[in-house]
Amino acid sequence: MINHPLTATTEWARRVFFAAVFIALSPALANADNLGLKNWSEVVAEAKGGTVNWFMWGGADNINQYVSDWVGGELKKRYGITLHRVGINDTAEAVNIVLGEKQAGIIDNGTVDLIWINGGNFRTMKQGKLLYCGYLDLLRNNNLINWQDASVANDFGLPVDGCEVPWNRAQFAFAYDQARTPNPPRSIADLIKWVKENPGQFTYPAATDFNGSVFIRHVFYYAAGGPEKLLGDFDQAKFDAIAPKAWVILNNMKPYLWREGKTYPNAIATLAQLYANKEVALYFDYDPAIFGINVENGTFPATTRSYGLEDGTIGNTNYVAIPFNSPNKAAAMVTANLLLSFDAQYEKAKPAVWGTAPAIDLSKLDAGNKAAFKNLPRNPAVIAPEELARHALPELHPDWISAIEKGWQENVAK
Amino acid sequence: MSDRWKIFLLLSPALLVIGGLFLGGLILGLVGSFGYMPQIGLDDVNFDAYRTILTSKSFYLSFLLTFHIAFTSTVLASVLAVGTALILRQSFAGRAVINFLFQINLTVPHLVGAVGILYLFSQSGFFARLAYEFELIAKPSEFPAMIYDPLAIGIILQYVWKEVPFIGIILLANMQTMGLNYEAVARSLGANQWQSFRHVLLPMITPGLLAAAMIVFAFTFGAYEIPALLGQNYPAALPVLAYHAFTNVDLNTRPEALAMAMIISLLSVIMIFGYVRLARRHLRA
Repeated sequence: MINHPLTATTEWARRVFFAAVFIALSPALANADNLGLKNWSEVVAEAKGGTVNWFMWGGADNINQYVSDWVGGELKKRYGITLHRVGINDTAEAVNIVLGEKQAGIIDNGTVDLIWINGGNFRTMKQGKLLYCGYLDLLRNNNLINWQDASVANDFGLPVDGCEVPWNRAQFAFAYDQARTPNPPRSIADLIKWVKENPGQFTYPAATDFNGSVFIRHVFYYAAGGPEKLLGDFDQAKFDAIAPKAWVILNNMKPYLWREGKTYPNAIATLAQLYANKEVALYFDYDPAIFGINVENGTFPATTRSYGLEDGTIGNTNYVAIPFNSPNKAAAMVTANLLLSFDAQYEKAKPAVWGTAPAIDLSKLDAGNKAAFKNLPRNPAVIAPEELARHALPELHPDWISAIEKGWQENVAK
Repeated sequence: MSDRWKIFLLLSPALLVIGGLFLGGLILGLVGSFGYMPQIGLDDVNFDAYRTILTSKSFYLSFLLTFHIAFTSTVLASVLAVGTALILRQSFAGRAVINFLFQINLTVPHLVGAVGILYLFSQSGFFARLAYEFELIAKPSEFPAMIYDPLAIGIILQYVWKEVPFIGIILLANMQTMGLNYEAVARSLGANQWQSFRHVLLPMITPGLLAAAMIVFAFTFGAYEIPALLGQNYPAALPVLAYHAFTNVDLNTRPEALAMAMIISLLSVIMIFGYVRLARRHLRA
């Protein structure tokens, strides 16, 4: 039979309707923040036997496997918690579910217990008061986090305020095939020149894609002469002064892009495919670990190497957060705490597992654990995080990002 | 219990599902599209979302593209389905095998089909590689763009591939219940093969064909996943545009997403009415 035409309307409508049905059937609505847990052992006791529905971007098999197998297995073994990983395409989908539930009055029996989140989606949830906050002191591994570090305490320039728990660090990097492209461009200025000299060999995903958007921000920083002027709250006057320069750069690039810039890949996965099939010469990603994974699974050529830009690349911290209406907050807290532990952070730092940079402060570990991190092998396709971190640029406030994405759609995409 | 009540009771589960899930959702969506979402601080009713959409050029471009995709796919799939059904209703050696092959892709999900199209027709796909082997092209960009292209060739290919058997099976069932007698009479009265098809068979299968074509049109007009996978980024198909607004990090764009969804629904209904009227008149003449 033909598939059901699940358009945005009917899908949204269905969710809201189900939400409305549930609220009509639920007899009592309790206060969400009234957990009354005083210390860690009470949290663990409360969490036992619970189930955690963790909604997270599901586009990478290795990450999915780490979460389902390792994290899920340890949670079951250590705490008797069942982890249910729900893969989504866009974090906003989980935000929409929680929002729909809030509109329907579901305040203590939501679907989502944990979300992998940062940036604009965190802002949205904070703005809509959709998060459960203020439990960080209860978590035993909170002492491994360096809250003095501004790039941890602020998520895309927005204070965390105890509403989410750091999970990973990521920093944008470029990848190339050293057999095909011995001299890739190492700054935005070089890239602009390089694109003209190598027509059809470069493109970037549209601004609707997370990675496409961050690439455009690099060009924006270049047009602004550095990120310093752009930090802090959105400023229309500053934006109007800088944006036209950035659009000129990107529009001048257009005829030399893949497909003459008549279209852009819709997702970073498409760019990976273009690079793997040698349609384009450069790839980039906010998580350099992906280069090594793609080499190991044979998608990318073994001669793939990666680098950061001389003028720096943008880095961020990503987090997990608990929605205000999660019915399993204690179990979600135990999960977040486990994710922060040395064991979990070390496991996912292994290149064969994920290879992503830890969110915990390594200097707070004991000597043995510190050495373990130091001695981790690294795929030659992945640039050393320390080297990348030498030229790190901050992320912008979500309002800036929205304005840049919108501006790109109107001035470059059309 | 009277018959009337019995019928009502028997129908009620279906009515509840249709009325509750479909109409209920439609009404909630409509309310949201007027900007009324008090939980996120939007509590005055207005038409801002509709005004924004209806005054933007990209909306009209997206509409044209979506219409082109749905219309072209439906017409192509209908014509091919009629032709295939005409052949498959005859008996010939190996008919069972052909019939099976014809129907097998009904079980394949749209998404899988889209990935197949991507592997076959992209500029570094199977056919491009074949062309490279035979030295017809020297690099991927010389292969004609059929994916992420302005004419949406890849999307239409996918829909035609998937919908021909869907329409074809309805027609085949239709033709089999009619048998060959009417056409035989026409032929015995001197009609040639074309005339007996055009004036005898076609009018008889038209209701079935129209119904099937309508389902295909409505589906292809409102479907998100195929244009999201195989479409260019600008202009994007309307459902893709609505989804982007719906997953925008800014909560204030939610009314716009809902308004877009309302407009898509309304346009679907209008065009289906138009299509049916046009097709009826055309075929009667």
